[in-house]
Amino acid sequence: MSAHSHVEGQLPHEPEKATLEGRNKILGFWLFLGGETVLFGTLFAVFLALRDQVLGGPTANELFQLPLVAAATAILLTSSLTSVFAIHALHTHRVKALINWLIITVVLGLGFLGLEIYEFYHYVHEGHGFTTSAFSSSFYTLVGFHGAHVALGIVWISLIIGQLMKNGLNTTTAPKVYVAGMYWHFIDVVWVFIFTVVYLMGKVG
Amino acid sequence: MKEVPTLAHAHTHTVKRYSGIMDWLTTVDHKKIGILYLITGGFFFLVGGLEALLIRIQLWKPLNEFVSAGTFNELLTMHGTTMIFLAAMPMIFALMNAVIPLQIGARDVAFPFLNALGFWTFLFGGVLLNVSWFAGGAPDAGWTSYAPLAGTTYNGDHGVDYYVIGLQIAGIGTLIGGINFLVTIINMRAPGMTFMRMPMFTWASFTTSALILFAFPALTVGLVALMFDRLFDANFFDPSGGGNAVLWEHIFWIFGHPEVYILILPAFGIISEVVSTFSRKRLFGYSSMVFATILIGFLGFMVWAHHMFTTGLGPVANALFSIATMLIAIPTGIKIFNWLFTMWGGSIKFTSANLFAIGFIPTFVMGGVTGVMLAAAPADFQYHDSYFVVAHFHYVIVGGLILGIFSGLHYWWPKMFGRVLNETLGKLTFWTFFIGFHMTFFIQHFLGLLGMPRRIWTYLDGLGFNEMNMISTVGAFLMGLGTIFFLLNVTVTAFKPKNAAADPWEDGRTLEWTIPSPPPEYNFIQTPLVRGYDAYWKEKMDGHTEMTPAEPIGPIHMPSGSILPFLMSLGLFIAGFGFMYAPDWGNLGSLNTGYIIGAIGLLITFGCMITRSVKPDHGFHIEVEELLHDKGGKA
Amino acid sequence: MANNHSATEESTKRHKVEGPKKHVISYLFSILLTLIAFATVMSGELNRDFIYIVLVGTALLQVFVQMAFWMHMKDRGHIFPIIGILFGVFIVFTCVIMAEYWAWW
Repeated sequence: MSAHSHVEGQLPHEPEKATLEGRNKILGFWLFLGGETVLFGTLFAVFLALRDQVLGGPTANELFQLPLVAAATAILLTSSLTSVFAIHALHTHRVKALINWLIITVVLGLGFLGLEIYEFYHYVHEGHGFTTSAFSSSFYTLVGFHGAHVALGIVWISLIIGQLMKNGLNTTTAPKVYVAGMYWHFIDVVWVFIFTVVYLMGKVG
Repeated sequence: MKEVPTLAHAHTHTVKRYSGIMDWLTTVDHKKIGILYLITGGFFFLVGGLEALLIRIQLWKPLNEFVSAGTFNELLTMHGTTMIFLAAMPMIFALMNAVIPLQIGARDVAFPFLNALGFWTFLFGGVLLNVSWFAGGAPDAGWTSYAPLAGTTYNGDHGVDYYVIGLQIAGIGTLIGGINFLVTIINMRAPGMTFMRMPMFTWASFTTSALILFAFPALTVGLVALMFDRLFDANFFDPSGGGNAVLWEHIFWIFGHPEVYILILPAFGIISEVVSTFSRKRLFGYSSMVFATILIGFLGFMVWAHHMFTTGLGPVANALFSIATMLIAIPTGIKIFNWLFTMWGGSIKFTSANLFAIGFIPTFVMGGVTGVMLAAAPADFQYHDSYFVVAHFHYVIVGGLILGIFSGLHYWWPKMFGRVLNETLGKLTFWTFFIGFHMTFFIQHFLGLLGMPRRIWTYLDGLGFNEMNMISTVGAFLMGLGTIFFLLNVTVTAFKPKNAAADPWEDGRTLEWTIPSPPPEYNFIQTPLVRGYDAYWKEKMDGHTEMTPAEPIGPIHMPSGSILPFLMSLGLFIAGFGFMYAPDWGNLGSLNTGYIIGAIGLLITFGCMITRSVKPDHGFHIEVEELLHDKGGKA
Repeated sequence: MANNHSATEESTKRHKVEGPKKHVISYLFSILLTLIAFATVMSGELNRDFIYIVLVGTALLQVFVQMAFWMHMKDRGHIFPIIGILFGVFIVFTCVIMAEYWAWW
């Protein structure tokens, strides 16, 4: 197990999968995402069950501003694309490009969060607070939970950018990048369901 | 694909190795973590058992006033919660940790650090939950914590807060453990061990881990929603805010039903191992066993509303869930027959471990058939919330899981501790516990049929309940006696010399019996080559005394210990208190004291997470000289 | 093979150069699906059930595209991730959401 099978300095083809630790991390994270699917699914179920209980507060149709949601969606979707470019840079061993794409991803993520914070602030002023009704509680929990995931992802990717700058790209940092990329795609997938079920269906009624 | 060597070789840096109590606080070794789970789970089993005895004392005669009604509600809530979350599941994890890597020929689990984290979060969650006893009141809304009883309208003190937060913290640990074992089993089996050559305990644990992964997130959502309702005035389950109380039941039982399969499947795995070993015979119908296990796991997600037949879901829903529930009896029945056919024609040795396994079979069947009775929705309208249900689930959980755990403990004790438990005490444990168990719970079927409701703190005279309750209480004390015999056994055995053989039962069939008892830190000097199911037995039948190695001897890389899992869990523990008592602890300056403490706790946890991420863990190596020395020593 | 080193490099490059193109197409397709969904809602006069079908359809399609292409689920070696995610989805759709809805009316 101790013989080096490559020229020192040459990274293998898919560096994130080159070690057992890396493969374990990736599989473990896929499974974690399976669990997160159930988690968000349950939150969706709760939202769907309670979305008509507005208790005299503003309804979904009255509240939601679709242009804002469309802008947030476009930003998050683009950030998912830039994270794809980052992984591509990972596979072609271009560290600088990798770091740059990750930075852009983080910036877009911050843009998304900013829009969402503004949106929530606006809703509270419209009389749609966390404690207003069952609809509002479940709305803020579902969408807020997603936003918390985005925030966590931003912190996480930022830390990885730092590690890449310090340690470069190797078989230890590669799985971290890959897993963070998987996470970022996942929260984009969840957002597809959120804008469909919460905002678009909410607008339609 | 060309293999690149694993993490950086740590030839030159000094390795920090801990000893004594620091070793246990920082360990990431699955064998030690298994022992930690066993000790802690065992401790909570005693706590839950004490709560049970207090319940039975209160109920032994009508209109008793041994404890108040409020205390009784706390006792029954904590008994259920403690036994399921803090005793049964950890003891399952103890055996899974101790045995699975050995059975698949691996050196540790996939994520040793996370393994430790899972243990410490469980410990701190359990401690938090039990602190409630001393802090003004334990949760008292039942282990199922139904809304609206669990909401602030009817439950204004902090009891249910402890439930909600304690279980969330402990639940993190369980989820981590589930993912850990899934990845371990998928990625780290020895060469030649295909899925259909894995031992049944490994298969059962694999299915259990999948159930954990998909069931616990639902519970998490429920607990978070209830916490939001209680602490932040949300409206999920409060009808006055537009919420819905039955919604809680749906969420809870979508978790709760898979949870009971999480409890029983590992026991099924243990029984398969023990029965096969002590019949000196290959498990009958291995493929159908695997298939049945997976089917039970899968169907377990489709039956949750059989806990809710009386909530008004309607006849269509009730009928469908009825049928789905009865369906699960089929794969379960397959397993029962397979065990019986394994024993038939075998050369049976009635060791304590085997007594527990054989005792399990008819007992679990009894629990199973009352389950089918409960599954008939119209009949359930009579059984629901009566002692019939209590009898059923104790038959399957205690008569099933706990007997299974006792069996597994007696079976694998030498592997874990290097000493064989005393057989006489083991048999004494079995008979007292087994007789006590049936005495306690068989009679409760009839109490239920006579109309005694569950969760009542007392009952009137002249209803026909008196004698049966008395018998039930006596039985409970017998179970307590059985437990004491087991503890005695453990103590007495601890003073014996640590000289168990690698294969102390002499009929070991699986890989864990090929290495010393207890195993060295690295488990296998060389990863074994697996040539069939019952890998070790196959080698024995071919005349070999050892496994063929699958790799040359080389330095073994081991993960370093770390105090971070302990600190991370401590942070969550502190945060829990802060958020719980935020309304009560006033302000520090302009900020709420509770929130400050909560923030500090979370900061500790996240700080540790970040530390873990940026600080490299090079581990250490066990060099060839040491391995050759160990190998020579055991020859 | 003459020079092992450069052959590996070239095969690396050859293997991956097609990557971004597929991803960019998936991105554009996702944007298109999103636009369709939003446009359907904002158009105003359509039948409610029809809108729902379009919304669910575009969402599912977009998720499929993102998971297959961006998360590599169509590549080999992903059997357990596929099982894991699909089982989670199965639980979500058939158990959680269906039963909630059904138990509610």
